[in-house]
Amino acid sequence: MRRSLQVWLPIILVCLAKGIAGAQALGVGGVGIGPTGPGGNRTTAQGGGSFRVQCPTNTPLHPTAISNSAPGTPLTEAAEPAYTGPAVTAETVGGQSLSYTLNGGTVKCQEISGGDGYSTMADGNQIFMFSFGPLSGMDLIKNGQPGTLFAADFNNYYNEPNQPAVSAAPGDTPDPSYDPKRANSLNGAVADPGTIMEIGVLNGNIPAPLMAFDEDDEFFLTLSNVGMIMRPDLFEEHTVHFHGYPNASSYYDGVPDATWAINIGGSATYYYVAPDAGTYFWHCHITPPEHLQMGMVGQLYVRPRQNREPAGTSLYYADAGSAPPGSSGFGTATGPGMQSDLRTACQGTGTAPAAGYTYSTTAGSIDILCSAPIPLPNTATQVAGAKYAYDDGDGSTRYDIDVPIQIHGFDPNFHFVGMTFNPEGFADMKDKYFLLNGRSYPDTISAPLTNPGYAGLSPSAPTQDPTSNAIGTEDSDGLTRYSQPLPTLITLSKTGGLGGAPQRALLRIADLDVTEYQTLASLGIPMQLVGFNAKLLRDQAGNNLYITTSSITLGGGESLDVILDSALVPPGTYFLYTPNLDHLSNDAENFGGLMTEVVVNP
Amino acid sequence: MSHENENTQSAITRLAAVVMVAVAVLLTGMARAAVPGITASAGGSSTFNLVASQGYISQPDGALIYSWGYGCATSSASFVPYATGAFCPSMQIPGPTLVVTQGVSFTVTLTNNLPTGVGNTSIVFQGATVTATGGTAGLLAQEATPAAAGVVTYTVTYANAGTHAYYSGTQSDLQIEMGLYGAVVVKPSATPTTGANCSAIGSDIAQQLGGGKDDFRLAVAAYNHPEACYDREYLTQWMELDAHIHKQAQTQVQAIATCTTAPCPTALDVKTEPYHPSYFLINGRSMPDNMDPSYAPNYPNQPYNANPHMHPGDFVLVRVIGQGHWQHPFHEHGNHVRILARDGNLILSQNDPLASATNPARLGGRMEFNTDTTPGQAFDGIFYWSGKGLGWDIYGHTNAYADATQPCNPDANGYYTKNSGATAASPNYYEWCADHNHPLEVNPVGHVGGGGPATQFDPLVATNGLWYNGTPYLGPDAVGRNRGPTPLPPSASSMNPFIESGIAFMWHSHNEREITTNDLFPGGMLQMMLVDPPTFWIDETL
Repeated sequence: MRRSLQVWLPIILVCLAKGIAGAQALGVGGVGIGPTGPGGNRTTAQGGGSFRVQCPTNTPLHPTAISNSAPGTPLTEAAEPAYTGPAVTAETVGGQSLSYTLNGGTVKCQEISGGDGYSTMADGNQIFMFSFGPLSGMDLIKNGQPGTLFAADFNNYYNEPNQPAVSAAPGDTPDPSYDPKRANSLNGAVADPGTIMEIGVLNGNIPAPLMAFDEDDEFFLTLSNVGMIMRPDLFEEHTVHFHGYPNASSYYDGVPDATWAINIGGSATYYYVAPDAGTYFWHCHITPPEHLQMGMVGQLYVRPRQNREPAGTSLYYADAGSAPPGSSGFGTATGPGMQSDLRTACQGTGTAPAAGYTYSTTAGSIDILCSAPIPLPNTATQVAGAKYAYDDGDGSTRYDIDVPIQIHGFDPNFHFVGMTFNPEGFADMKDKYFLLNGRSYPDTISAPLTNPGYAGLSPSAPTQDPTSNAIGTEDSDGLTRYSQPLPTLITLSKTGGLGGAPQRALLRIADLDVTEYQTLASLGIPMQLVGFNAKLLRDQAGNNLYITTSSITLGGGESLDVILDSALVPPGTYFLYTPNLDHLSNDAENFGGLMTEVVVNP
Repeated sequence: MSHENENTQSAITRLAAVVMVAVAVLLTGMARAAVPGITASAGGSSTFNLVASQGYISQPDGALIYSWGYGCATSSASFVPYATGAFCPSMQIPGPTLVVTQGVSFTVTLTNNLPTGVGNTSIVFQGATVTATGGTAGLLAQEATPAAAGVVTYTVTYANAGTHAYYSGTQSDLQIEMGLYGAVVVKPSATPTTGANCSAIGSDIAQQLGGGKDDFRLAVAAYNHPEACYDREYLTQWMELDAHIHKQAQTQVQAIATCTTAPCPTALDVKTEPYHPSYFLINGRSMPDNMDPSYAPNYPNQPYNANPHMHPGDFVLVRVIGQGHWQHPFHEHGNHVRILARDGNLILSQNDPLASATNPARLGGRMEFNTDTTPGQAFDGIFYWSGKGLGWDIYGHTNAYADATQPCNPDANGYYTKNSGATAASPNYYEWCADHNHPLEVNPVGHVGGGGPATQFDPLVATNGLWYNGTPYLGPDAVGRNRGPTPLPPSASSMNPFIESGIAFMWHSHNEREITTNDLFPGGMLQMMLVDPPTFWIDETL
């Protein structure tokens, strides 16, 4: 770490100087027209130089901030305002009178580093990665939770006496920017540029930090490029590609050819209005065959606004309702609902063909790429605390446990060549480690002390956090940093659901493998496929097209949603594994690979 | 470690990228695509005269790869949708795209001009009813034997409209690998009853056509179904290539042709396993070659490109065929694709209460952001991009400046279209009006007002892409008001000049190893899609 600062300090200083020049240039149009003055300035940009963290507490779309009265504990989804149909607000924005249509939601933020790191494979091998690491929600990430925070929590900036690390004794890794006069904050964003370097360097995770937010949220995602300390010869930019974002802008799409990419020593903030609910994922888009293979791949999902409907609401009418925004009767046949706001609607109100077609005067027009068509009429009502995969309008995608699963593969030869300053070859790329959330079996089931697993194998990770089971990997400075926070052991209770019902797990599966197709099969417990590529499986007439199966197959860049229902099987241990049998290996070890366990308890 | 070895992958690949793109730019700045193909010759003969022969294709790493392909036996082909600059050589990859009509029988004659030792060849027409005369019986199809005496004549009828594959049915693992494959586009025998609306579903295309512009569609609808109407269409065929196989074939063909000392080899013995492709082709070309125009003269045996352009709201028919051995996960940036049909079979709801004798059932196909290509299988899908729901004005309107005001009256579906007073001259035709005038940036920049949610990065610590117009916005009006007409470096060599000022998306294989050309990045199965501003006429012949 000391050495890293020596390397990077001059770069930071250079960037600081550039940042000042850049700030002066901001706001000056290329045609030589100056601004008439700043508009309503809601920015909360922090930090100095080119590392800038950004998370406004309120925006034109969300003029009301949500505060946290217990700053030590981050807010959860429960703090989101209820969804009771759209409301139109009139505001003065930038001196102009405008109207915004609000469906609830709030401002959420996350910060990540782009750099490098090491991870530990199930055979004990350390592997070098280009990777993203957490710079917000670090304790949440360590515990397998999303690092996405409400603005109030994000802006309660990180403040801890020691760096987050597994092995070293406290005091070995003091954080020089620690402010003893402030309350400690484990999860807030790292905003101080020096601390961004101190923590961000080598803190790469596989999978990259988990992101999750709700429909109608605004999401500010700050990427700070801390450089790759193990590859000081590289000048790599990094980007974020939000894979699957419908009607994306090119500007925030992260394709370096089509837009911009952030250089070493700089931060950039991506801005998204949450798209339709679903399982997406994200990755760097710089030289994708290299940066994806090397590990810059993460998971992302968007929860539906149906979760936020008050208990007792008719799910069907909350979806099908089309009365004007702001009218009464939400949840009834004559009330407003998701069809009232054309942004959230599938069914248009008009007969004019636009993004869709005029089917008939009774059906109106319909968006041909609509996320979740109105279901067949039904009587399902909202249950307090229920979670759904999509705005299904019939409760059919209800589940209890989120299980993000990323399928990936590492070619150790490619990583070794990359670590040793040589150009990697693409033509001979061949994965030898097959990963679920960055781990191969038996590391996938983690928890060695309490659950040795059906096979009785001990995970070989040298260091794990005793409570979260996050795997740590020792880096070249002797410090063991968290590298793989997400086991995939799935534990279901037949009586642990809402009202004592059998639990259902939603497997949010994404494949980021860059070389071949992968199949994941289930032994004994049926898989119900309810979503595909972040869309509910439903035809335009409203019929659910769910598939019950024992296996699913994905190519790189694909995602789907599978529900495992503990009601369908007796208690016991079940396996998820790949029938691509050569993928049940950890490099030279011929037992392991793409496999994990599902434990169903009584 | 040698000094050379310390050169990084990135430095090499970026240099390669710059060189390759620079070459592409020299050819043309703005290539587009349509679905170029041939129809049966005029005069009612309904006959395609094809020949199979050998030749070379070029790849962007400089390789010339020995290949076999279908081509036109004579130079009398009728080209669609435009003939300017079009050619059909005696060998091309993919083979000529045959444009025919549902239910109408047509004839294909195939002459086998493949070199001595290759043996017979043939054509399998996926999904068609075929009878054949001439040639000799084969396992999957009647085969053309070498030279003129062995011509086979296929009589072909497609009961279904849509996109279909054709390829060799003779020693297919070798012959398809060598390039003997192509596409048939079957136009529907009738168009949907929505009639006039079908050709212009919310798009500005009809208005522009009214201005005397060309229509590049082969038909107004992919199928006789109101949701199969489209405004533009692009056909891509996905094929990987193992150069070792081609090298073996070349060596053995030459050995046969030049052998003077008995015993001479008489037939090929090419090993097709282990299969290890290192070239990944879309329409026979690798990126960036595939973004040069169709019929560019420097690709004499690879006439078809892959370079989709569209306007906001255009319904874009995506015709895709998997050829070769492997599946490829084709990722469309920008939005999802609604799968209409596979192998010409429309996928409709099996239980639509609104279906009747006059109203067909609504769609049942999936919406996918990754559309898998599968060997021998074709699919048709509808894509559109509208910017709906971004939360900010993609045209940079804020009403804060006199030159930045523009009406956006929503039609019944929320867009600014002819149904709500827009004209073909409206710079924001098809804008999503709910976001109109909503600022993106906190601070005003140029004549784009502030007050929005987002603070931009310091542009001095970012690297700009070749397709980046320098702003978040769409169209020269917004770009000019925001950053000015001078492109940000390095866009002086831009594939997206100021007059266009489109926004670019990458359409590519997400098995990312396949966006390389034999160890070089970028390359392979990668194309850039541009959403162009409504007032920018997309000339698909370029």
